[in-house]
Amino acid sequence: MAADVGVLSRRGRAARACLGVYAVVIYVFLFAPIALLVLFSFNANRYGTFPITGWTLKWYRSAVDNYQIRDALRTTLKIAGEVTLVSVVVGTAAAFPLVRSRLRFRDGIRIGFVLPIMIPGLLIGVSLLVLFTGPLHVQLSPQTAVIGQSVYTTPFVILLVSARLQNFDRSLERAAADLGANTFQRLLRIVFPLILPAILAGALLAFTLSIDEFVITYFLIGTQISLPIYIYTQIKFGITPEVNALASMLLGASLLVLALAFALPQTMRASRRAVRFGLARRTARAGA
Amino acid sequence: MGVGRRDPAPAGRALTDAAVTAPTARPGRRRLGSAVSAYGAFLPAVLLLGGFFLVPLGIIVVYSFWQVIDYNVVHHWTLDNYRYFFSVGAYVTTMWKTLLVSLVATAIALGLAFPFAYWLSRYVPRRLRVPLLILVVVPFWTSYLLRVYSWLTILGEKGVINRFLQWLGITHHPLGVFLYDRPAVILVLVYLYFPFAALTLYSSIERFDWDQLRAAMDLGATPLRAIRRILVPQIRPGIVTAVIFVFIPILGEYLTPQIVGGTGGVMIGNLVVNFFQAAEYTRGAAVSLLIAAFILLLLVVFRRSLSAPEAYGG
Repeated sequence: MAADVGVLSRRGRAARACLGVYAVVIYVFLFAPIALLVLFSFNANRYGTFPITGWTLKWYRSAVDNYQIRDALRTTLKIAGEVTLVSVVVGTAAAFPLVRSRLRFRDGIRIGFVLPIMIPGLLIGVSLLVLFTGPLHVQLSPQTAVIGQSVYTTPFVILLVSARLQNFDRSLERAAADLGANTFQRLLRIVFPLILPAILAGALLAFTLSIDEFVITYFLIGTQISLPIYIYTQIKFGITPEVNALASMLLGASLLVLALAFALPQTMRASRRAVRFGLARRTARAGA
Repeated sequence: MGVGRRDPAPAGRALTDAAVTAPTARPGRRRLGSAVSAYGAFLPAVLLLGGFFLVPLGIIVVYSFWQVIDYNVVHHWTLDNYRYFFSVGAYVTTMWKTLLVSLVATAIALGLAFPFAYWLSRYVPRRLRVPLLILVVVPFWTSYLLRVYSWLTILGEKGVINRFLQWLGITHHPLGVFLYDRPAVILVLVYLYFPFAALTLYSSIERFDWDQLRAAMDLGATPLRAIRRILVPQIRPGIVTAVIFVFIPILGEYLTPQIVGGTGGVMIGNLVVNFFQAAEYTRGAAVSLLIAAFILLLLVVFRRSLSAPEAYGG
């Protein structure tokens, strides 16, 4: 295919140019709303729209000073932390038998486990609302929201970790067993390091899904307010560019996390290589 | 890899005959042990997803056949909730229009995503493909609500489009036609779900060998026939996944229609929310079940193309 690109016919070149323009339009379509959101966060205009009446940082200042936003942020992060913990532990544990053991009804169990991804959050939210307020008589709180969100995020972790386990070379474990490693040692020193990337990816996904989750949280959180719920009430009852400033800061933070997520494996690999290199040199010296 | 990194010497020293034979020594006990640990590892997930996903869905099913009298759920088995829903013309219309909106939005999203995926897999150098694909997903890292809200500032009366039209001198009064109706809902839904469509379509288009299409046409097939007989069957899994990841969530949407849809853009999800907020739990349950029924129908239709092992990377 790469060879194709060099020797395109005239029609091929025209097609490429048209599709190139099309792709640019698509990217503009995807990013224009976000760019406008950020642009209006610097606009002095109180209505968060054109015209630009002056550049200002006052919306950022008032967003940072807003205690409601700070409260909502704290609640959101707390929920996200708990959801991440629950879904990583539960999801990773479930992935092992799913891939490795010959259980009866394995395919049925597999489908059952991914069903929460297929069902709209609205149905998860209202059905749990009925469960908590009806039969269980539980007071709605951030904890009930954590349960609801975990139902939706855990399947993602199960999928990611099982995919990694599926491509796992089991002879490594057998080799370790032959060398005398017990089950626990094999798990800790062979299996865990190899599936760690999938677990981290699952954790990152669960965290980001949780932070932005609205529908399930809205039904289950009770009287507390999470960040998406705060934004929702702002949209409903008159928004100020303060929310634009909040959005820009959130976007910046998530891009930072994204960049870290991409940089981290590379730095880890680099440092590991450095360690291994040092070890090799030391053993070489010892040998000499 | 993982093993080579460690200094092999200590493990080698620990090597004994007993250790070598241990894993195969007592197969019967081992199998029992592994079954116990397998079910044990399942337990948390079964408790979480069984107790807080399947059980609540079961309760919704039961509720949809019960009644609310004086704000209390009464265990009277009845079809009244469904009868009520289908007796109110506005509800039934909303249901059909929801299906229409979902269908149209899914079709547009896939239609837009196909040329994009084609461009990405055919005309973009290999090393740029993944970064450009990631760029499509970056909007997901912005709040869903704020992405919808942003369209308010674009389509609204004081919005970007109206300002632009006035600036051009085409109109002098702000136009209200862009917002608070079905087209706005479809536009925003396409915007929200395009990345899903692009990702899933790309993954199957990328694997397609375009020379096969050329070969088919060399052998006398018309372009349309070649596409239908060669291209579509091979990228069908991608199309099915895209339809499922776009159509199903749109079916359960209620925020987008609420924010940009006005009264004209109401969807079935809004009905569910309205019933539950009015404490009419049993009626809300019935409408929820209608959504679930549509989803189930779709999954049954597509069951052949949806093999669970593939989703698990096998």
